[in-house]
Amino acid sequence: MNYAADNQNLITNVYKNSAPAVSLSPTVMEKLKILTDAAKYDVACTSSGVDRGGDGTGIGNAKSCGICHTFAADGRCVSLLKILFTNECVFNCSYCQNNCTNDIPRATFTPEEICTLTIEFYRRNYIEGLFLSSGIIESPTYTMGLIYQAIYKLRTFYRFQGYIHVKAIPGADPVLIEKVGFLADRMSVNLELPTSDALKKLAPCKSRRTILTPMRQIQNGITENKNELMLYRKAPKFVPAGQSTQMIIGATPENDFQIMSVAEGLYQKFGLKRVFYSAFINVNQNPGLPALSSPPPLLREHRLYQADWLLRYYHFTVDELLSEDKPNFNIYLDPKCDWALRHLEYFPVEIGTADYKTLLRVPGIGAKSAKRIVKARRGSTLDFPDLKKIGVVLKRALYFITCSGRMMYPTKLDEDYICRSLLNDSSQIPREIREQGYRQLSLFDDVSFAAPGGNPLRCRERS
Amino acid sequence: MYVFQCENSLDGILTGVYDAWDSRLGHKNIQLSSDSCGEILLFHEYITVIPDLEKSQKVSRTLICRLGISFFEVICKCAMADGNCRKLTMDKANAVYQAIVMALALPEGAKVLEYLAEPCISCIFELCRQTNNEAHYMIEFLRFAELENGVLFSMIHPKNNVLPIVAEHFTDRFPLENFLLYDATHQIAAVHKASKHYMIVDAKDLNLDIINRYSQEEQEYRKLWKTFFETIAIEERINSKLQSHNIPKRYWRDTVELKSKLTRH
Ligand code: SF4
Repeated sequence: MNYAADNQNLITNVYKNSAPAVSLSPTVMEKLKILTDAAKYDVACTSSGVDRGGDGTGIGNAKSCGICHTFAADGRCVSLLKILFTNECVFNCSYCQNNCTNDIPRATFTPEEICTLTIEFYRRNYIEGLFLSSGIIESPTYTMGLIYQAIYKLRTFYRFQGYIHVKAIPGADPVLIEKVGFLADRMSVNLELPTSDALKKLAPCKSRRTILTPMRQIQNGITENKNELMLYRKAPKFVPAGQSTQMIIGATPENDFQIMSVAEGLYQKFGLKRVFYSAFINVNQNPGLPALSSPPPLLREHRLYQADWLLRYYHFTVDELLSEDKPNFNIYLDPKCDWALRHLEYFPVEIGTADYKTLLRVPGIGAKSAKRIVKARRGSTLDFPDLKKIGVVLKRALYFITCSGRMMYPTKLDEDYICRSLLNDSSQIPREIREQGYRQLSLFDDVSFAAPGGNPLRCRERS
Repeated sequence: MYVFQCENSLDGILTGVYDAWDSRLGHKNIQLSSDSCGEILLFHEYITVIPDLEKSQKVSRTLICRLGISFFEVICKCAMADGNCRKLTMDKANAVYQAIVMALALPEGAKVLEYLAEPCISCIFELCRQTNNEAHYMIEFLRFAELENGVLFSMIHPKNNVLPIVAEHFTDRFPLENFLLYDATHQIAAVHKASKHYMIVDAKDLNLDIINRYSQEEQEYRKLWKTFFETIAIEERINSKLQSHNIPKRYWRDTVELKSKLTRH
């Protein structure tokens, strides 16, 4: 590859003046604190999607399943060193604490500092790699140049072969985005808000167009690269772990149907690997946005993730799960149970004969168990205890399946009956929500969840 | 019924398989046992198996060649598992033996691993899952500390004998590092020299003095890591139950960031 000389030019062009003078230069510790704090609201932190062995000349490898290294006090996985390059920003997005009108301590890393932290943390097995995002310093292109410089050094000088996730800065020079793409494993451009109206209101410096342009560029880059790799197996890889994005949930009044339709569009039209949903927290106490005193909409976020899963792995479409008339998910039942209850005509499903896709639609049967069932039944007839060993959640599945024509218990295939029984199972309300006691109750105050008729035990409104 | 009592190790179990097969007593009349203190049953004849590398290698070769390398890997992982689990309905060694007998009788033998309704297969599935899960936990949660001499050192306390899987992972990951992975439960260690393959050694008399002499920067990076760890959590989402669900408490002692939280409560 003859990128090196080329790269050097680019760095010197973009990175003309050395890093902006910070008056009282803070220590690495202070910087780390400020720039971690500023990065923590970004939810995309997985290290998955690429398998790469070490080549023996440097440090690092990557596992496609992703590796978490610890879990923070909020229970979220810590996999990558998630930091901003700088929290200086010339933009004023109202949901963001780095917004230029905020009076907060600011800091900027040097590329060298980022490299050393990454390598030293990685050697100690604290992290799986680096997640690098940034506030906008001077201009998007200038910022992207700084990011490029840091990861170029990490990949070439330090020969780091672990995972790198980089944010593409909307509006940055496409040449730079492409160069970064050949060094990073995953790239993401945050959609920020589900609709362009919301974006206009809350992030006046951004627009749908500046966000979607780099997204499209990365998508095209990945497609071209795939073709190239078919011809030359050794061609350099472009964003091999794919592209992701994130939407803030609950800052603006979109319903679940709108949000999921946007996500579906992103998967289909932009070939995204993942869409992340981030429950809104009003860090700036912005009076125009939901107040900080109200807890972040965690259950809603959870339901969106469950539905997202159904889109990606269970062959569901948004139209099957939601509609204009039923635009929000049921808070009491997960989206799959909810769907099944509204489509009892498909059930019960016979375990001995149903095909893989049909099994996937049964509540309590996950993708892994469905695969195991299909294989295991070739060896012998499966009964309920076998299903349990295979990993099926029987207390949920039992209403919807038969083994050799028998149900587990005599039950009625009746919506109200099954719904009531399922709700007795408290694990239906996700554990992390359930255990937050009072927070769970206050969720009912959320407008979008207010159940008409006010009967919390009805699992869905009949129209 | 004849019971072949094997040592609780891969070589022990595979030697058991060899001896059992060789005995020509008929598969239906044979059981293997890896549990030396299991209850002795009347009317059973007990035969002690002495681990023999040659026999065990013969069995390995047969398995690899007739049933494929991934079948063999499953058997290895199964042997690595602790095996003392209430969920199990069968002895580890016996499950391995029965599965091999079944597999060798079928044209596409390796497929038996998919027949989860068979008791021996569901037992193998469970053991293999245990080994895989714990190896994965170790790879996630173990921490290295840099010693005075630049060597990376890590102490782990796994229930199953997962050290080889873990060492393999880090050999690929840190080819140029010298590292020492010490399994305190089984008193063995994996030693890796830069650019070489790793070796598993007996570590009964590991000098615990060296491993407490850290390099100068070690404390610095620990502090930086703890700062990062404390800062990355979102206050409004604090959820300690979810945290300890995701990283079970028994792994906290070997981490840098959670160790101190254990003693406080
Ligand atoms: S561009 Fe907007 S979201 Fe990004 S750091 Fe600046 S203010 Fe925050």
